[in-house]
Amino acid sequence: MANDPIHQFQIKELAGPFHIGGYEIAFTNSALFMGIAVATVTTILLVAAARGALVPGRLQSVGELWYEFIHNMVKNVLGPEGKPFFPLVFSLFSFVLVANMLGMFPYFFTVTSHVIVTASLAVFVVALVVVVGIAKHGLGWFKLFVPHGVPAVILPFISLIEIISFLSRPVSLGLRLFGNMLAGHIVLKVFAGFVVSLGALGFGGILGAVAPLAMAVALTALEFLVAFLQAFVFAILTCVYLNDALHTHH
Amino acid sequence: MTKPSNDTPRDEPPPPELGDLSARLKDLSGRIAAEQSEQAESTKPSASMQGASGFAKGYRLASEFVAGTLVGGLIGYGIDWLFGTLPFGLIFFLLLGFGAGILNMARAGNRAPLAQERLDSNPPPKAALDDDDED
Repeated sequence: MANDPIHQFQIKELAGPFHIGGYEIAFTNSALFMGIAVATVTTILLVAAARGALVPGRLQSVGELWYEFIHNMVKNVLGPEGKPFFPLVFSLFSFVLVANMLGMFPYFFTVTSHVIVTASLAVFVVALVVVVGIAKHGLGWFKLFVPHGVPAVILPFISLIEIISFLSRPVSLGLRLFGNMLAGHIVLKVFAGFVVSLGALGFGGILGAVAPLAMAVALTALEFLVAFLQAFVFAILTCVYLNDALHTHH
Repeated sequence: MTKPSNDTPRDEPPPPELGDLSARLKDLSGRIAAEQSEQAESTKPSASMQGASGFAKGYRLASEFVAGTLVGGLIGYGIDWLFGTLPFGLIFFLLLGFGAGILNMARAGNRAPLAQERLDSNPPPKAALDDDDED
């Protein structure tokens, strides 16, 4: 059990299944850590903003940096029309970032290593893009899939390719985050498992275990980078996709 | 000793100090404006963010291509499953999905510098440019 690299992703029911509207809904460890992530974001930002000192302390600096990082991203990619979407992008970034970072604690559950969570977020973003695009440009927004200036012979193929390209957005958005978190945690666990099983072999084994131990330490650092980077990529792609919906002129 | 020395600066400087003050105030506001524009420039393209986004772009390009092919293949397989034309829909849509993956990658490659350029120009003309690229 200790060496099973998949074991850490198991969903456990913490509070037995409740029957709500004909469905069996249980409070799982995944739900618990989603709640912890939301509570952590809320607490950090509330405490950071509580003082409101002119010269920010350490925690307030973190809060301001966090806010301004996303604020600049939204402003640069979406322009002034993107203001209404700032809370959404900030929430998405904060949730993904904190969920990823919580996953780096030993014995903690990584919410974003389950494809259902990341795919839900991605599908929500792309559905929002469709809604915003139609609200902003009417049914003319669907001309996005029918580029003009293309010979009539290949137009159906180009349209199909455009549609597939659009449909692949939620897939790439959701799969990238899920894949990175899952693969990273499995690799970490496998290398840590090498250390344990080599160390059990005696003195020579302990000498040999130095290499995978160094690898595990280096991978931990890499995983922290990936945890931040994937949250950043998720947020910036949300901005880029929303930009397509806001600024398509036909 | 101290009183006269205190009085003389108090008596003499006021006229020059007043002139000095307004001059210094102008100087200070000028320096603040310069500092602000400098700060604005330095915060715009944050070096660490650019390094991170290079790494992020690599991840992005790979997954865009895989996603395009995957979605194309799934659509093809779904159509085959509906109409019972097993190999043909899969072949056709897998090829189209391959094309969509290439298109995704080309767009992701073109769009990243565009988003960076948006820093110093207003979005509408950029969006029109982006649009031209797509068509």
